[in-house]
Amino acid sequence: MAELTAFGYHPGDSVLHRLDPRFKLVCLIATSLTVLDSGMAALGLWSAACAILLVKTGVSMPRLLRELRYFGVLILFVFVARAFSAGGDPLVRFWGIGPSRQGMMEGALVGWRLGLVVLLGLSLMATTRSWQVKAAVESLLRPVPFIPHKRAATMIGLLFRFIPQILSAARETADAQKARGIGNRRNPVFRLVKLAVPLLRKTFLDADRLAAAMEARCYTEDRSTPPLSAAAGDWSFLAAVCALSAVAWVLSRL
Amino acid sequence: MNILEADRLSHRFPDGSMGIHEIGLTLRKGSFTVLAGPNGSGKTTFLRHLNGLLMPTSGEVRIKGVPVREDPRRARRLVGMVFQDADSQIVGETVYDDAAFGPENLKLDRREIHRRVLAALDAVGMSGLAGQRPHLLSGGEKRRLAIAGILAMGSEVVILDEPFSNLDYPGVRQVLGAILDLHSRGRTILLSTHDLEKTIAHADRLLLMEKGRIVADGRPGAVLGQTERYGVRRPCAVRWGRAVESWLN
Ligand SMILES: Nc1ncnc2c1ncn2[C@@H]1O[C@H](COP(=O)(O)OP(=O)(O)OP(=O)(O)O)[C@@H](O)[C@H]1O
Ligand SMILES: [Mg+2]
Repeated sequence: MAELTAFGYHPGDSVLHRLDPRFKLVCLIATSLTVLDSGMAALGLWSAACAILLVKTGVSMPRLLRELRYFGVLILFVFVARAFSAGGDPLVRFWGIGPSRQGMMEGALVGWRLGLVVLLGLSLMATTRSWQVKAAVESLLRPVPFIPHKRAATMIGLLFRFIPQILSAARETADAQKARGIGNRRNPVFRLVKLAVPLLRKTFLDADRLAAAMEARCYTEDRSTPPLSAAAGDWSFLAAVCALSAVAWVLSRL
Repeated sequence: MNILEADRLSHRFPDGSMGIHEIGLTLRKGSFTVLAGPNGSGKTTFLRHLNGLLMPTSGEVRIKGVPVREDPRRARRLVGMVFQDADSQIVGETVYDDAAFGPENLKLDRREIHRRVLAALDAVGMSGLAGQRPHLLSGGEKRRLAIAGILAMGSEVVILDEPFSNLDYPGVRQVLGAILDLHSRGRTILLSTHDLEKTIAHADRLLLMEKGRIVADGRPGAVLGQTERYGVRRPCAVRWGRAVESWLN
């Protein structure tokens, strides 16, 4: 139980930990959008930057990769689908269809983009406490009219709080079922239902308990969390991300 | 002086079953009370009324004379609660953040919060773990963190629901030490358990619950004789006709 998933806050003192959460959020959104539009060269650049920052956070890389293996399966699926469907001359043929060179390139590109966006999101989750996410969302939403920014911020902050807990509950439930031989059942739908029902039950129970614990400690939306303050370092990080985006944009259009 | 008064408290669940029935209880300031009863006797249900997490179907709880229903936030500040499940009461991403959660909700200023959190962590012997992730703590440390969170809020009554469940011997001793420390600083303690062995040596009052009612109430020496009739095992020492020793010795 003790060792949680790689998703979730890791205390530390890296560049990303110290960055103002508002800047992190803005940079994450901006880079994710540019990454989804980048070519191979630009992706290489982004990946290098992301890898350096992630290593600095102190999150254990082998564990991170292990946690992401299911996501890897999804990416592989996307790759295969692209490889077979993108047109061009098939390299080999099975029953008339086959992966083409062009399709494989395209699949690799899409897979790489998706994987990188996930890693970017993870680096935010690993270095930002949920109250910081809440404070950042609140501060960014404040100028937008008709949005209850405090409530929206609370919800997003709690979402951050819950994702790691749900994942670790999922693993515990899956292990308990493996111990009772669910591996012998071939039907994936059966296995999914058997996993989902207790998991949802446990998640709602946990949510209920957490709500009680928060209420017992006088929870309100209007709390005195430390004020966010942007320092020179935050602006220079933002400038670096903008510069990198510009370079990536140019690289993608060469 | 009575710090907490419960008056003919009843709670009916939405499904129609009775959780607790006509419970009356007054707690003297600075007392140490143990509430014992078998599983399902209604201990948790009762305790949740004392800080307004549950509202009674009939009856009333007053904290220092003010009904909980009138001001639940005040009740929650004055009556701190350590829950039965050690994991789901953790709300912060680090030990420090978790202890700061209550004071932040009280809208204290940052310097006062910092002072209180350091004092509270120090009081439960966890100053060295302030930057640690709470989910990686041992069971005893998690319980002590929960106690620190209450200390930092400045609660005068501390309610502990089964604080020793899932703890090993050192864990029990750590948590018991923290509880006794609170008591010696003048906090009023109310602790629920189905196992009297670990706490009864320190209590000055013992309540027995069965099926949602309080069925016995008095000094431990006077009540211990009846416990087994209500599904709570008597401590071994009592069975052998001796006084129960503290787990800290
Ligand atoms: N929301 C609910 N609706 C219906 N019945 C409930 C509800 N919550 C609790 N109960 C029932 O009320 C009774 C008392 O439960 P409670 O949790 O207060 O007991 P407890 O003394 O704390 O037991 P334990 O030692 O197991 O913690 C139990 O029989 C329980 O099933
Ligand atoms: Mg209980």
